[in-house]
Amino acid sequence: MENAEGEKERDNTRRYNINDNHDLLAEILARLDGPSLAAAASVCRLWRAVSRRDTVWEALCNRHVAADFPGTRAVVAALGGYRRLYCRCVGPISNRLAVSGEHATTAAAVAARLSLSLSLFSIDYYERLGDGGWQRPSSLLFLRSPVDVS
Amino acid sequence: MPKDAIDTNPLVLRNTFAMGRHPYHPQPTDEDSSSASETDTLLAGVGYTVRSSDLLNVADRLEKLDSTIIAAAAAGVPPEFLCSSAVHYNPSDLASWIDSLLTEVPPQSSPSMWMDAVCLPPPSSFSIDAHRLGEEEDAGIRLVHLLMTCADSIQHDDHVLARSLIDEMRLLLPLIGVGYGIGKVSIFFLDALDRRISFLPQPTKSVLEDEILYSHFYEACPNIKFAHFTANQAILEAFNGCDRVHVIDLSLMHGLQWPALIQALALRPGGPPALRLTGIGPQTPKVGLRLAELARSVGVPFSFHAVAAGRLDSVRVKPGEAVAINSVLQLHLLLSETGPIDSVLTLIRELRPKILTVVEQEADHNKPAFLDRFTEALFYYSTLFDSLAASGGGGGRVDVGCSAPAEVYLQREICNIVCCEGSERVERHEPMGRWRVRLGRAGFEPMHLGSNAFRQASMLLKLFSSEGYGVEEVEGCLSLSWHGRLLITASAWRARADSAVAPPACHRYIVW
Repeated sequence: MENAEGEKERDNTRRYNINDNHDLLAEILARLDGPSLAAAASVCRLWRAVSRRDTVWEALCNRHVAADFPGTRAVVAALGGYRRLYCRCVGPISNRLAVSGEHATTAAAVAARLSLSLSLFSIDYYERLGDGGWQRPSSLLFLRSPVDVS
Repeated sequence: MPKDAIDTNPLVLRNTFAMGRHPYHPQPTDEDSSSASETDTLLAGVGYTVRSSDLLNVADRLEKLDSTIIAAAAAGVPPEFLCSSAVHYNPSDLASWIDSLLTEVPPQSSPSMWMDAVCLPPPSSFSIDAHRLGEEEDAGIRLVHLLMTCADSIQHDDHVLARSLIDEMRLLLPLIGVGYGIGKVSIFFLDALDRRISFLPQPTKSVLEDEILYSHFYEACPNIKFAHFTANQAILEAFNGCDRVHVIDLSLMHGLQWPALIQALALRPGGPPALRLTGIGPQTPKVGLRLAELARSVGVPFSFHAVAAGRLDSVRVKPGEAVAINSVLQLHLLLSETGPIDSVLTLIRELRPKILTVVEQEADHNKPAFLDRFTEALFYYSTLFDSLAASGGGGGRVDVGCSAPAEVYLQREICNIVCCEGSERVERHEPMGRWRVRLGRAGFEPMHLGSNAFRQASMLLKLFSSEGYGVEEVEGCLSLSWHGRLLITASAWRARADSAVAPPACHRYIVW
């Protein structure tokens, strides 16, 4: 009798798979930090697809930089999305500033980082609009872009 | 420059020597200060006996000897060679030896041999103290001294001496590491001097080449980014509360300054204003289209107007719009004797801008005397190349070291300062103090760049991998500095309310 119940429980557990509920998976991934999120994206095709959702990266960015402005989401989406913003700007900036001992503690400091990140991001977007040719997007090279998971 | 490097600027060398300190040990030791009558221990180490109290005199006399040599060379009389009796292998009293040289030396003397004897102690005594001076540094200091002497001879129109000095310097080059530091800068200045006395025509410039070099320089160091970000912050704050704004850029180039401003205006509380951008000067094709595309994406009403270089007079301002005029490294191009700086400033004044942002190099390369200009430029560009080398020439390329196109960009400036005169010499950098006077005369008053600009600039500089960059605030202007040496200064101005606008100039076609 106990065995049957135990088996029933185990069946239930086996039947519940995180991969069945993409939104829940996204919620969990949204709580990871940058490198972990990149690692999670290498697990399987499903996880890669879910981790590419911009909402996941938006949550990550907003943890680093508070987004008070209502129009921020629209602007970021237009310039290339939160994932790109994190990978090219927010992540490297936070790492670089952490190396020099700066941790954003006040709201003003956090807002300043967002502002700088967005400015650099907009320059990058502008360069990507270019013809290509000899002018490749290079304004962010000084931040030494991290490994791109795509 | 790293802390323990010797400052090879000859003026500094002379000054440190004159202050009674050994140039290779800049901090005065206890021994030096307490026993003024004793022999200087540091010079004794290299074989010279000099009383500490005499150091100032010795330096003075060395200087006199120096100028006597130059004068002798200028006299041009074939030399009676006196060196054999004066070369000094066992110097026991440096002070009296120099005295004897000064009293004995006739106007005729072989210049380069004298320099060998006087500028440097004989090689034998130097190799004794090899740990203090490598041969390379020795050669580097000598090279700098030769550069200065060559420039001086050019100022006195002695091209024969200049030519021989240049040849001598070229022989010296293999001894110095030319991949970095003083060696690298010296090559550029040496080439420029060579060009000047050879009367070679200036290489033709193409707009495309200019744009490529500018783009690499933008990427390699933070100078231009600092300029753009600081100017944008000032313009953003000036446009607070305005619904229609007009920005006039005196040199559009790639338009890299404006995406950040457009994005900031998009996110400004209260919604974006309608933005008009007028770009003057050579432009990358389709700059206007790309900026318009960006503005459309982020929801800023935008229109663009391109104006040919030098046609500031054809810019039209609509009533009711707030105008900002932006000049990044442009105004100094107008400073030649016949230059239109005053009429351009008057024109700017007539446009009634809410703010005029001026960013200029913090250096004095417009002095009338050639030697002064040369010295200043040597010092300034050494610092600039140091900073370029340290920032690795742009992220991710540690193997390349300094970015070569960025160097060429600077080399062109060096060539212009050293080789050209009159209206051809356009790189007439002036320090902010002089601009303050000039803009004040033209009817502008300074606006303080706020703490936001300062914070943003500091944060931006921290992102660059090298430790030497800093931001300094001087009388409301922000300057980018490398190890304390100011490189570029950003400032903001507005038209003074009391000064009347001058009547329009008759001749409105200004070409620059």
